[in-house]
Order: sequence, then C-alpha cells, then structure tokens
Amino acid sequence: MPPSKAEVLQGTLDLIVLKTLDTLGPLHGYGIAQRIQQVSEDLLHLNQGTLYPALLRLGQRGWITSKWGVSENNRKAKFYSLTKSGRKQLAVEAGSWERMAAVIARMLTGAEGA
Amino acid sequence: MGRLRTLFARLSALFGKRHMDADLEAELRAHLDMLTEKNVGRGMNVDEARRTAMRAFGGVEQTKENFRRQRGLPFLETLLQDVRYGLRMLAKNPGFAVVAVLTLAVGIGATSAVFSVVDRILFRSLPYPQDERLVSFGVTAPFESREFILSPDYVEWRNRPTPFEAMTSVYPGTVDCDLTEHNPVRMICGQADANFLSTFRIQPILGRSFTRDEERPNAPRVVLLSYGFWRARFAGDPQIVGKSISLDGRSTLIIGVLPADFEMPTLARADLLLPLALNESTVRDPTTPQLVLRAFARFKPGVTIEQAVAAMQPLFLESLNYVPPQFRREVSFRMRSLRDRQVQDARASSWILFGAVLAVLLVACTNVANLLLARAAGRQRELAVRAALGATRGRLARQNLTESLLLAVVGGSAGCWLANLLLRLFVSIAPQGIPRLEQASVDLRVLVFTLGVSLLSGILFALAPALHTPAPELLMGRESRATGRTLLRQTLVTAQIAVSLILLAGAGLLLRSLWNLQSVPLGMETESVLTAEIALAEYRYPRSAQQLAFFRDLEARLQRVPGATSLAMSDSLPPSGGMQASFLSSIEIPGRPKLAEGTGGMIGYRFVTPGYFPALGVAIARGRGFREDDRMPGENPVILSEALAKQLFSNEDPLGKQLRFGSDNGPWRTIVGVAANVKNNGLAAPADPEFYLPWKDDREGYFRIVHLIVQTPINRLAIAQWIRSEAAAIDPTVPVTIEAMRQRVGKLAARPKFNAVLLSIFAGLGVLLAAIGIYGVVGFLVAQRTQEIGIRMALGASPPAVLRMILSHVARWVFAGALLGLAGAWLSSRVLESLLFEVRAHDPWLLGLAVAILLATAFFAAWLPARRAMRVDPIVALRYE
Repeated sequence: MPPSKAEVLQGTLDLIVLKTLDTLGPLHGYGIAQRIQQVSEDLLHLNQGTLYPALLRLGQRGWITSKWGVSENNRKAKFYSLTKSGRKQLAVEAGSWERMAAVIARMLTGAEGA
Repeated sequence: MGRLRTLFARLSALFGKRHMDADLEAELRAHLDMLTEKNVGRGMNVDEARRTAMRAFGGVEQTKENFRRQRGLPFLETLLQDVRYGLRMLAKNPGFAVVAVLTLAVGIGATSAVFSVVDRILFRSLPYPQDERLVSFGVTAPFESREFILSPDYVEWRNRPTPFEAMTSVYPGTVDCDLTEHNPVRMICGQADANFLSTFRIQPILGRSFTRDEERPNAPRVVLLSYGFWRARFAGDPQIVGKSISLDGRSTLIIGVLPADFEMPTLARADLLLPLALNESTVRDPTTPQLVLRAFARFKPGVTIEQAVAAMQPLFLESLNYVPPQFRREVSFRMRSLRDRQVQDARASSWILFGAVLAVLLVACTNVANLLLARAAGRQRELAVRAALGATRGRLARQNLTESLLLAVVGGSAGCWLANLLLRLFVSIAPQGIPRLEQASVDLRVLVFTLGVSLLSGILFALAPALHTPAPELLMGRESRATGRTLLRQTLVTAQIAVSLILLAGAGLLLRSLWNLQSVPLGMETESVLTAEIALAEYRYPRSAQQLAFFRDLEARLQRVPGATSLAMSDSLPPSGGMQASFLSSIEIPGRPKLAEGTGGMIGYRFVTPGYFPALGVAIARGRGFREDDRMPGENPVILSEALAKQLFSNEDPLGKQLRFGSDNGPWRTIVGVAANVKNNGLAAPADPEFYLPWKDDREGYFRIVHLIVQTPINRLAIAQWIRSEAAAIDPTVPVTIEAMRQRVGKLAARPKFNAVLLSIFAGLGVLLAAIGIYGVVGFLVAQRTQEIGIRMALGASPPAVLRMILSHVARWVFAGALLGLAGAWLSSRVLESLLFEVRAHDPWLLGLAVAILLATAFFAAWLPARRAMRVDPIVALRYE
C-alpha cells in the first residue's frame, strides 16, 4: 500500500509558494504547482486550484507581483515574482517554521525517550 | 501595514470586477491547458488528459468562488447587494418610502434641532479647561438671590487657606464704556481680578494678562480686547499689543487679545476686559462703599462641593460678624458648579424640551416600525421563497436591517436639513436669556448625534419585523392569520397613544400656565402706553447735577408733545423688577419702635413725576397723587402702595402720617396718598410693597437711566420719532430705546411662551403621528378581515354594526394607551411643576381635555379606514376565497 498523501498544512502553502518563487524566479501558477509536486515527490496532495486564492492573498499583502508573459511553450500565462518585502517575509516565515519544526522534533524524540 | 495593504487591495477590487473575472478565467484556462498538454505528452488521449487535469486541479468554479471571496470584501459586497435591493424595494413602493422618510425626517430633525440648543446648556463642556472643577460661590440675601461677595470679604478670603486652587472675581453685570476716538462707539466692558485668566486657565492669543500692579489707583490704564472686537475694529492686527486706545476719554494701553471662544463666567457680554480695581473698597469702614462682586474658584483636584462648602463655613461665619445684625438670619452661603450658575432656570426647561422631542422621535420610530410591519405582511411570500431557497434567518434579518438602516440614513439626512431650518426657527422665536442660544448650530457634534439617533432608530424599528421568520406554509399562497403580528402592531399603537397623551397633557399645562401669566392683573395700563429708556454715558455726565440738568431740559421740551394725554418720568418701570429697594426695617414711623429683628422683607421705591399715575393708569385709592408743587425744595410728600399702607398701618388711616427711611436720618415725609398695587417683580413673582417719591431737581445720587412714559391715543411712531428728535436736540450721542408698554410686558412672558409653543408643537406632532399610526393599523385590520366581514354581512350584520365592531376593537387598545398615558402624565407633570404658574400639575380638567382631544383624534383616524369595512360587498369578499 502506498503511503497516504499528506494534506498541505494550513498556512504552509504561503511559505511553499514564496520559497518556490525565491528558488526558481518568476513563474506561472502551473509551474508552481509542478514544482511543488516534483519537490514533494508526489507525497504532498495539492488541489492545484487552491493555489490561486493563495497567490491572490500574497499579492494583496504585497509580497509577490504578477504580470502577463509568454510561457516556455509559447502560451500566454501570468507570471508571479517575489518582491523585496516578500523576500523579507520568506526569511521570517522560514525562520519561524524551522523553530517550530525543531520544537516538534524535540517533543517527539523526548516522548520516545521517556 | 500588511493588513492595511490587504484592505486597500480588497477595496480597490470592488471596482473593475468584470475585467478581473476575465483575467482569472484566462489564467485558469492556461493552467488547465498546460496540465492537459503534459498529460497528452505522457500518452493519454485528449479527453482523458483533460479529465485527469481537471481532477488534479480540483473544482474550477469552486476555485473561482474562493478566489472572488479572497479578492473583494464579501461583507461589503453583500451589503451593497442588500442596499441595491432595498433601494429597489423603496422605489417600487414610493408611497411607503415617502411617508417613512418624512416621518423619520420630522422626528430626527426636531430631535437634532433641540439637541443643538440644549447641548450647549446641558452637556457640552464650558470653554475653560477642566471646567468641572470651576465653581461659583458667595452669599445670598433677600435682595439678591444669586450668590455674590462683598469686596472686603473677597480680599480677606483670597488670602486665607481655602479648598481652592485659585479664587477670582469679576464685576457683576456690564458696564458701558465708550471708545472716544474717530468713529466713537459705545461698548460693553467687563472687569476682572488680575488672577481671573489664570484661574480659568484662559490664554490670551496675543499679549498677556493683567498684573496686580495694574490694579493700583494711579497705574496706567490697560485693557484686553475680545477676539471679535479685535477683528472688527483692528482687522485682526497682529501688532496691536502695545498700542493705545482712548477709552472713556482716557488713553488705555492694549496688553493682549482674548481667544475667540472667550466668555465671561457670568455670560455677560464683554467687548473689552479691564482690571477690577478694588482699591479702597476693600476697607471695612461704614463710610466707604463696598463693591458687590461675583466670585469664582477652581477646586484643588479631588475636592467635592460638599467638602468645599464645609471648609468655607468658618470664613463665612467670620464675615457674618460684619453684616448688620438684622440681616444675619437672611444671609446664607452658597456654592454651585459654574454650569449650574450659568444655566440657572434654563436647565429644567431644557430637559423638558429634550424629553418631549425624544418622545416625538419615539412615536415617529414606532410609526415607521408599524409601516415596516405592514409591508412585511405583504412581503411574506417573498421572504418565504427566499427562506425556502436557503436564506438563513440571520441572512433575512440582515436584509431587513439593511433596508431599515437605509430608511434611517435617508430619513436622517433629510432630518439634518430640517434640523437646520428648525434651529433657525427656534432662534428667531426664542426670547432673550436662553444661555448660549446664539452659539447653537448644527455642527459636527450635532451631526454625530443625528447619525447616532438615526442608526439607533433604524435598529429600533427594524427589530419588530425582524422578530418574525416566515413560515414555509406561506408558500401555499394562503393569507396567514398573522395574529402575533397584529398584536405587536396594536401594542405599538397603544404605546404611541400613551406617549402622545403625556406630551399633550404637558403642553396643556404650559399653555394654561401661560394664559394665567398673561392675564395676571398688573394694576396698570399697558395699551396705548409708550415707554422710552434714556441712558446717559457716565463719562459725559459724571455728576448728578449734569444728569438732572439733562432731564430737566428734556422734560421742558416734552411738555409740548402733540397728542400725548399724559407724560411722566420715572427712574424705573413696572412690572419688571429693578426698582430701588430698601428694607421694611429701615422705615421709621414716629412713636413706634424699630423692627426688633430681621429685615421685614424688601420694600421698593421709585422717583416719579406727577404724570406717573395718570400715564400708567395707576388708581389712587385714597388721598391724592403728586402735584407740581410737591417738587419744590421744602416739600417731602410720599405715596404708599396699598400693600405697604396695610403692612405699616393695618386698618388705621395712613393719610397725613409721617415716616422716614434709610439709615441717614433723612427728612420726615408726609403720606399724601395711597396708590393701587402694581405688579413690580415680573409677572410670576409676588409683588413687593412699594412707595413713591416725587421727582425733584435737588436730588443727590446717580440718575443716569430714566424712563419716559407717554400715554397717547394717536400714532405711536410719530411720538417715538418726536421723542428721539427732542433728545437728540439736547445731546445727539444719547441713546433712546423706545418700546410700547405692551411689548415690554410681553417680553416678561416670552420664556414661558417659547416653552409652551415648542411643547405644543411637539405634542401636535406626536398626536398627528399617532393618528397616522392608528389609521394605518385599522386600514390593515380591515383589509385582513375583509372575508370575515363579508361573511358577517352575508349572515345579516348591518354596516353600522360592522363599523361598531371594528371601532370597539380599536377602542380596546386606544383606551389601554390612554390609561397608560394618564399614568405617565401624572408622573411626568411633576417635572413641569417648576415652570408652572397658578396651575396645579395634576389639574383634572386639563388632563381630561387632553384625553378628550386624543380620543377624538384616535377615533377619527380609526373611523376613516373603518368606513371601508361598511362598504364591503359580501359577494366580492366571499368570491375572493
């Protein structure tokens, strides 16, 4: 039986999108979705449609901007890119995520040790 | 920051929705296409590739919906949707909209207008920082009911430990002063102690306050300008400080300009402020005149009035030692907040008017609630459909509330406009002496109040229909019985009637009181009597000889008045107060001991020329009036009022008896006559006993203000013109104020009249609105019971019987309302008591009359739509089923 796919944790989608844009530079929604599937090696279950409200939200906060462009296979697509404040936000969120993960890891190992 | 940005982004997304939708559509299509392409590349056929792509994407429509929710402000969008819908509903039923908006506009407009007036009196803080710590204090005595302080006491108290942070004083009332430069003007000057501005924490906008040195007798004269005077006379010259003006003929240095919102704590007008020079008046010495002052103080933080009164008691008792023994029991100490001192008797009437107008607003809201209920009854089908389609109770209530608030806001805006008009009307009919009326305006504070009232009333009248959720059975198309709703509507009408009755009873009391006041017997003639007040400027006529010479000259000129039956001069005029006064205890009669203790009350007196009694039509009860030869130097006659004659001599004949008055051992005066009593203390207060002395040329003392009395049957305007020209011939700078006696008397009743008129208007509005409410409910009732009535008529009920049935139904809640209203009127009329004159607050006749008027109106309003019931055609009514 294949391992069940994990749902994207509430609130982590923003971080994932920001990180993706940081790594790959300007990218359209499809590209972001592909990248997430690829990196997670299909372990993460993502309804690709949920990306769009998230992208809108990040845009409203001013962390990313978008503009229409042409994709690698000559298709018209909207490209998203990280802004300066988005980069700052990424650093903040990544930091807090790492702290959180560390705490949880310690909790789990501690529990096992007991 | 991010949140604000998000809000902004969302707000801007409310516009250009179509474009953004197309944008999203294109973006999603591109995504799906790319996904499909990839799947095709993996070897799927096109259909399968597309299906797989769709699955991976998740619902497209759902995404769009989520996207839109994130994009805009769903709350606001629903609101806009509701507003649009509400507006459509209002437009569809313009009759309803107009009536509801008008009703609200009247209620809100009247409330806002009254609020803008009473706010200044009751609520708004005074223009001094931390005004709640300011008090007025002093002593009261029989001759002055407002607290005052004598100059020696003031200086003594100022130097002693008190509960006050600072204590200051001003000269009471106003002093005329003249700007004697090019363009001379008469102005009003206030005088204040050097620490006045610092005690009230007023900062001059230019220059500085007075110093103690400037109070000295021969110090250079200095003055502070009021803001208005500075702007008007000196065009707001910023370099004004240090310049000099000529005031009453003396050069005076301008040391500063007062702020725009400055006002004297006594509310007296002051164009200029001068230092209050107490000088020798602070000496306790029977021969130097003492000044009467108004004292004010700022409490130390945390001090209460009770504590302060207790703390001041020793000082007060000490100062009592200097009061002549016979006064002591009638002098007491008083301290009250500055606001109380300023508004005085305006407080009660302000609360009453405010309460009355709130009652009108309540009736108006009830009416609109009733209208909404009626409309809701007609919209039950629609609401049931919406409920069946999945609208929650909350969503329906929200729609309802939005529509009500819409009405409230439209009504409130119209009300704002109306408030402005009404306020102008109030100000134009308002009498003198309502504190701060001239400042009242519909400003931001009033607008906020109006908005609050509108929203509150919107919620209030939206509550009623919101309490009902339509039952799904309504979808079947049958008319519901909706008894609960009818009951609610009847309760509302009952409440309206009760409130209207309270208003009506109050108005009745005030009107009756006004009637009594205006028909109070004055003891004198007011028709065809013309009065002229002539005031001499002190700097032009500093000595009494000059003043007397002026009036002697004037009297000689006026002897030739064409068409005057009689003419007189006097130093004061009834029926208003303000005459010279003494105490009964100061009257001495040969062979009788002086009054053992107490003052015996106030006795007034006037100096009059022989024409006084005929000119005012005051009857001489015994003896004679004055004659020309009574004015000769050796003559000392006196005429008593009947009240005084009775008080002094009871049943003896006073004629020929002698008396003298005052502490200065004046001449013995012979009583030559007794005149009828005349009202001399205003209309409402009981008259003081008085006596008359002949106007003589050799009199000592001040004589600056004189009243001319002319009894004339002919054209008053011509006579007025003539008096002016004769006065101007002697001295053109002397101001002459001419008024018909009837006008003067009318002014005394102006305040009660204002209150009565306003309360009557409010009562009228309340009754009218209640009548409209009854009309609406009965109309609704008749429409609802058409079938039942048809059946009854088919079974033989006569039209009058049907009418009786409807009316008896109405009678139940009308009588219930009247009973409630009677109870309310009984309780609330006590509040009015302080404003009433010779009317009992629980006058049964007036209450009965109010009930009768209300019942008559109610049944008339019910009868109009009830007639329709009589005309119900049984056939039509039954076929309707």
